[in-house]
Amino acid sequence: MKLLKSVESLRMSVRSIGANKIRSFLTALGVMIGVGAVIALVALGNGAQVSVQQSLESLGSNLLIVYSGQPRGSSLVRRNTSNIVPALTDEDVAMVAGLGPDLVSRVAPESTSTSQVKFENYNTVATVSGTTDAYPHIRNFHPIYGAFVSPADVDARRTVAVIGAQIYRDLFPAGGDPLGARVRIDGVSFTIIGVMEEKGSSAQDTSLFIPITTFQRHITGGTKYQSLNIQATSTDVMAQLEFSIEQELLRLHKLPSMEVADFYIANQLDLIGTVEGVAGTFTLLLGSIAAISLLVGGIGIMNIMLVSVTERTREIGVRMALGAKSRDVLAQFLTEAVILSIGGGLLGVAIGVGVSWAAVRFAGMASVVSLDSVFIAFGFAVVTGLFFGGYPAYRASRLNPIDALRYE
Amino acid sequence: MIELIEVTRHYRMGESTVKALDGVSLAIGDGEYVSVVGPSGSGKSTLMNLIGCLDSPTAGRYALGGEDVAKLGRDRLADVRNRRIGFVFQSFNLLPRVTALENVELPLVYAGIPGRRRRQIAREVLERVGLSDRAHHVPNELSGGQRQRVAIARALAGRPSVLLADEPTGALDSKTGVEIMALFRELNRDGMTLIVVTHDADVARQADRVIQVRDGRVLSDLPAGEWVA
Repeated sequence: MKLLKSVESLRMSVRSIGANKIRSFLTALGVMIGVGAVIALVALGNGAQVSVQQSLESLGSNLLIVYSGQPRGSSLVRRNTSNIVPALTDEDVAMVAGLGPDLVSRVAPESTSTSQVKFENYNTVATVSGTTDAYPHIRNFHPIYGAFVSPADVDARRTVAVIGAQIYRDLFPAGGDPLGARVRIDGVSFTIIGVMEEKGSSAQDTSLFIPITTFQRHITGGTKYQSLNIQATSTDVMAQLEFSIEQELLRLHKLPSMEVADFYIANQLDLIGTVEGVAGTFTLLLGSIAAISLLVGGIGIMNIMLVSVTERTREIGVRMALGAKSRDVLAQFLTEAVILSIGGGLLGVAIGVGVSWAAVRFAGMASVVSLDSVFIAFGFAVVTGLFFGGYPAYRASRLNPIDALRYE
Repeated sequence: MIELIEVTRHYRMGESTVKALDGVSLAIGDGEYVSVVGPSGSGKSTLMNLIGCLDSPTAGRYALGGEDVAKLGRDRLADVRNRRIGFVFQSFNLLPRVTALENVELPLVYAGIPGRRRRQIAREVLERVGLSDRAHHVPNELSGGQRQRVAIARALAGRPSVLLADEPTGALDSKTGVEIMALFRELNRDGMTLIVVTHDADVARQADRVIQVRDGRVLSDLPAGEWVA
């Protein structure tokens, strides 16, 4: 008997929704946009998080970088380092390497400068990096053609260069084999021995690598380095390694504390954590904005249901006269509200997934639809229908049959 | 059997109390055909609402088929209406978007009767009022007389013991009104208890017994032949 009545109120609700198609659609539209927005925006937020993580991981794995200069917050992203006075010495490199194979797998000192590079009639600006053969392994950035700087190149201070993908395009617009070509950097002639893989980030694709010893002789002079790229043996030892390097460097540089240090250490883990935190906040923010639109959709449902109850006051009176109990009337209007919100919710899921797909397909954005957000948004839509449909349905169910029958 | 003993119904209107019914006692037996007449404000609508279990008396007793219904709550009253009373309204009050058949099924839905059985009963009742060929029309597609027949079929569907009609011919032309009154007479002949509330003396006279109400009291209660408006 209960089931029978549920089936009946379902039938009646479907009929009543069908009788006011445009109004029902507009009502469901609010929920639809709300649910769609939650799913799409959370997907885009997640996508941003994943893509930032991927680009951070592409910088290398288990990476620590010691920079010269005053601590200025942690950053693995290359900044304009030309004006930084190099503070790191061969002794520092030896100290890091000496921390042992349990902690450190590789070290590559590096100094950079922004210089003009010329080839025949073409010229471009490159971030010239002096480093050693360990660099590609630490930064997970390898030559795709030719070779990287070798230990022999470093020892002999050879004037050889490995160019980034963008530099290749700038200097060889017609294509062709660059190996053996001679380019001029700050007036010194270098032989190209390799081309780096494309990373998609302009900082990496406009770089140009030469042996660190050559860099010191021709570009900056001196024997110190701007930074040390260090690869830890595993993620687990990174904190310990960071601490050891900090203590040892303070000792070697004869400094009392990090407040007055002439170096600072950036830890990839910290940065990933920070970025995850920021992206998480971002996703939450987008999600909340979307949730507000879902709330507005719910209020739309309430509004229409109140109108519908008022319009159908006489019908309610007739039903009550014929034997409808309060709960029958309540069930009828509640079912109607929930059908509207479920319908809106389902279409909203489709829209959300569609928008997120379109963002990937047509705008090239990163987007990850999380199943959680689909279920949460859909569930929230149903609850919205129950909650905002509840009050109008309750009002309908409490109508006095005599007044309702007399209502004009 | 309808039995009202010293039934009073007071309404609060702000500070003052309106005595819509003031100590009404009457009995209507099974199979009677009674009309209730009186000018507007006389209390006849209140009386009809009470008899129809749409309202409860402030004081007094009301027994419907031996069951004391004066102090029942909302849902119990809904049950009593569903089982014992059929309503016919002046303005038909059919649901506009559903067919005649589905309108007739409505009280059976609330009685919890399954769909197949419901449709069977509804068809039979529609046939009884002479409308089996209009079962699948919506009210818009029916004439006034046909609509009132659907409403009567709906009132009959739940096999009530009393049919309560409020100005049943008020919205109809005189010829159709006569047809509806003829249908009522026929139903009464088959044993249905009929109570017609009206202000129209010609309609009232068609019953066997006329109860005249004024100022919340029964003014006269006479066989139709002896009643003078």
